[in-house]
Amino acid sequence: MPTNDTAHIRNFSVIAHIDHGKSTICDRILESTHTVEERDMEAQLLDSMDIERERGITIKSNAVRVAYEADDGETYQLDLIDTPGHVDFTYEVSRSLAACEGAVLVVDATQGVEAQTVSNALLAMNANLEIVPAINKIDLPSADPESCRAQIEEALALPADDAVLVSGKTGEGIHELLEAIVNLIPAPTGDASAPLRALILDSWFDAYRGVVAIVRVFDGRVRAGDHVRLMALGDTFDVEEVGVKRPRETPLPQLGVGEVGYLVTGLKEPELVKVGDTITLDEMPCAEPCSGYREAKPMVFTGVFPIDNDQYEDLRDALEKLKLNDPAITWQPETSVALGFGFRVGFLGLLHMEVVKERLEREFGLDLIATSPSVDYHAFLTNGEMLEVTSPQDMPDPSRIDRIEEPFLRAKVIVPPDFVGAVMDLTVEHRGIFKDMVYLGATAVEMHWQMPLSELILDYFDQLKSRTKGYASLDYEYDCYLPSDLVRLKILLAGEEVDALSFIVHRDKAYALGRGLCDKLKEIIPQQLYEVAIQAAMGGRIIARSTVRARRKDVLAKCYGGDISRKRKLLEKQKEGKKRMKAIGSVDVPQEAFMAILKVDE
Amino acid sequence: MTGDEQGWEACLDADLPRALYLHIPFCVRKCSYCDFSSEPVGRETRQARAYADSLAAELSRLSAAGLLEDVTTAYVGGGTPTVLGMRLCSLVGDIRRAAPGIAELTCEANPDTLVPEVLDGLVEAGCTRLSVGVQSLDDGELVPLGRLHDAATAEDALRRAVSTGLAVSCDLMCGIPRQTPVSWQRTLSRAIATGIVHASVYPLTIEEGTPFSAAVEGGGMRRPSDDEQADLMLLAARQLESAGFSRYEVASYALPGFECRHNEAYWTGVPYLGLGTAASSMLGARGYRRLRVLAPRLPEAGPRVSRVRLTCRSAHSRLSADPSVSAQSYELEMLDARQAAAEDLMLSMRMVAGAPEGLLAHARRRIGAQAVDEALARVVGSGLARWSGARLVPTHMGWLLGNELYGSLWELSEGTIETRVYEP
Repeated sequence: MPTNDTAHIRNFSVIAHIDHGKSTICDRILESTHTVEERDMEAQLLDSMDIERERGITIKSNAVRVAYEADDGETYQLDLIDTPGHVDFTYEVSRSLAACEGAVLVVDATQGVEAQTVSNALLAMNANLEIVPAINKIDLPSADPESCRAQIEEALALPADDAVLVSGKTGEGIHELLEAIVNLIPAPTGDASAPLRALILDSWFDAYRGVVAIVRVFDGRVRAGDHVRLMALGDTFDVEEVGVKRPRETPLPQLGVGEVGYLVTGLKEPELVKVGDTITLDEMPCAEPCSGYREAKPMVFTGVFPIDNDQYEDLRDALEKLKLNDPAITWQPETSVALGFGFRVGFLGLLHMEVVKERLEREFGLDLIATSPSVDYHAFLTNGEMLEVTSPQDMPDPSRIDRIEEPFLRAKVIVPPDFVGAVMDLTVEHRGIFKDMVYLGATAVEMHWQMPLSELILDYFDQLKSRTKGYASLDYEYDCYLPSDLVRLKILLAGEEVDALSFIVHRDKAYALGRGLCDKLKEIIPQQLYEVAIQAAMGGRIIARSTVRARRKDVLAKCYGGDISRKRKLLEKQKEGKKRMKAIGSVDVPQEAFMAILKVDE
Repeated sequence: MTGDEQGWEACLDADLPRALYLHIPFCVRKCSYCDFSSEPVGRETRQARAYADSLAAELSRLSAAGLLEDVTTAYVGGGTPTVLGMRLCSLVGDIRRAAPGIAELTCEANPDTLVPEVLDGLVEAGCTRLSVGVQSLDDGELVPLGRLHDAATAEDALRRAVSTGLAVSCDLMCGIPRQTPVSWQRTLSRAIATGIVHASVYPLTIEEGTPFSAAVEGGGMRRPSDDEQADLMLLAARQLESAGFSRYEVASYALPGFECRHNEAYWTGVPYLGLGTAASSMLGARGYRRLRVLAPRLPEAGPRVSRVRLTCRSAHSRLSADPSVSAQSYELEMLDARQAAAEDLMLSMRMVAGAPEGLLAHARRRIGAQAVDEALARVVGSGLARWSGARLVPTHMGWLLGNELYGSLWELSEGTIETRVYEP
């Protein structure tokens, strides 16, 4: 197969709402084109991170090349770019779409169009992609493809008569889907003789080869040995290898115009290779870089601290390496009296935060504490100055503050009409301001709200799911900053304020949250040698208290005929357990205490 | 080096074991809480006798090799040694012959198998102490424990044993199902009234793999609460002390002069040799070299090793077939001087006598004075231990929160101690 015959190239993404079966469809495509033999097939092959497989979600994009012999007798080169589905990972989607000419929009035949079906389809339309609707899970008894078609037309204004009916599970319809991809999605265009212009879609750090990037070539071509330049920062390097994933990495002599593949840079500095940057030839650069795409902006901030302060430098290195792979995170150093040196890390959302923390711990062998999430507050001082406050401990003294503004979101909730009341109650409790409501046919209502981000990041999404029996879907985007009556709630352990446990909350909720948090911490903090008082305070006044009673007995008295090893091993296990806790003053505090705010049931 | 410290070092450096333990891994029936190494086989079975025969043969071999010359205490534990019946009495005779220097020889016994002829036989053979597994003197509490005797049988066994002139100890357990502070006090006072000179008091521990553990997991039984157990342990201390008993170890109380020296050996760095399934031995570097003469294929201890611990992993059938030290499989640990010193500090905190000046000086030398003094200051500061003259002794809080106290001192050790498995 010639590699620079653009007429036979199709670059496409598969987009979907979470759990609509996108990764399974990708697996079937790999299988039916014999890219991967059945015996090597692992479920959800494109989700290569452990966390992705375990959680059954896609977090990272991935690009795989497939050779497909179509009904017209020609062999096509399909570059499949898998994308994440969760609302936190929208930026990954937009990044992947920039490399494509088309997108397969997967809709679950039992669920219909959901919030991210719409938002991802809109992203694809904005990127001028040809959209191929595919209705999945038609093997299920509750599948309703007709109503899906109607919803696609109604909610997305996309013609859906020709939507392909598929089952990722049985493989039915995969052939038709491949035909539709070949016939409907346009071949890439570009100037093969122009200077190299390639967009960096993704990159990661390989301990042996340095930074490896996934690129899409828009003009020209790139070969091993080319001396190239990164346009944003101006750094140059010699390309060590190019190739494609099938899905194992396969070196090629070159990547030509329109192709997607990997490129080994040999660079050891992750921060030089920015996702979204353009690669060109150093000697003969292109005139304009590739147009960028929506930059991801962190919305949720938490302190991340190593339990063992000796791991501080390791944490910094780990963040730098992870940033290469996940450009949406930001960080800056933070110091806490209780937790020592760490970083205030910005995330796209809570799921993103959990995933990043888990990756830092697993992939870099760190033991970390993450503190209560916060948003980016704007504190306007009496002297007219504005301070950005992403950590409760940075909140200035109330006497210096004129007002505090917090970020509000435009939130869109889609639910069946039966749940409108439940969503109303829940969202108003979370200080949501109702805007309007649109009926999407007879089965779904789209409600529009303005609500504080700080409320959404606590437990809104989980509550929404539980109060609507899982039917609701949520999408949101940043709206504006508005003033709110916010206070800093302090937590004291054994009479000492623990800065890492304090948080910013609306005044009306301070009492309930303070009490809830004291009770929750009482469950989490194990008994110590002494009684430990847990107090919540607002502006110097104690508003709630609970007590962890002193441990009274902990002794293994029975002697097993001099079997001291057995006793000693027990003590060693006890010591291991303590290592997972942070000693704050005289109190041993488990990691999860710093996230207790997320677990307070109101 | 002070005289105290020299004394301590001499003990650690002792050539030969001074205490001897024999494990009898048989019971008539297994109790609901027990995860000790023992197999329910009924009374006086052939396999139990064969096992006793092989232990006796090994004793005479060790004796002939001179390894038992310094032994002054012996303890036959289990399991239930009295399931051996009269063979237990002759085994005591075997021990006496093998280690003539023994001054204290204890047998464990259960009330249901301590029949009069066995009791008389034990006295005659040279047993000096009897430790009777009673656990409770409340019939309602004994049933769920899975014990084979009632309270009256246990009391009778204790009285009969006391009347022979043996030093009699009884094991009692607190925090067991159905027990109340009142029933516990009654158990204690009835036990004291039989004339015992020693009592061991244990809080119930739910051990994995036992029927109790299954009951707790299944929700049919409440996990004993630490608070209740703490109260019951304090009650026992008070009641035994008012009857003239003194606590000398975290779980042991004795009338003056009736402390179990064998028990004390475990906590004071005295080397001991254990024979039989699941039995543990602790030897200094020199003692271990002596043992290796008999079992040359045991791994050599390197120059930095100052203490070796062996736990026998052989099943009783294997021991019966060939009881020699060299034919058994072991779990083996080697400690360097620092680790051994940290271990001795930790173990000393089980004793009322605590850590004597000599041990503290020894630990400072081996571990480093600053680290030791900081750890001592920490346990004193948190109320787990206190100074009594130049000795560090545990407080009441230190008794109840022993693991915290022992753990703080064990942290002075460095490196990990690997458990190696030795197969012949």
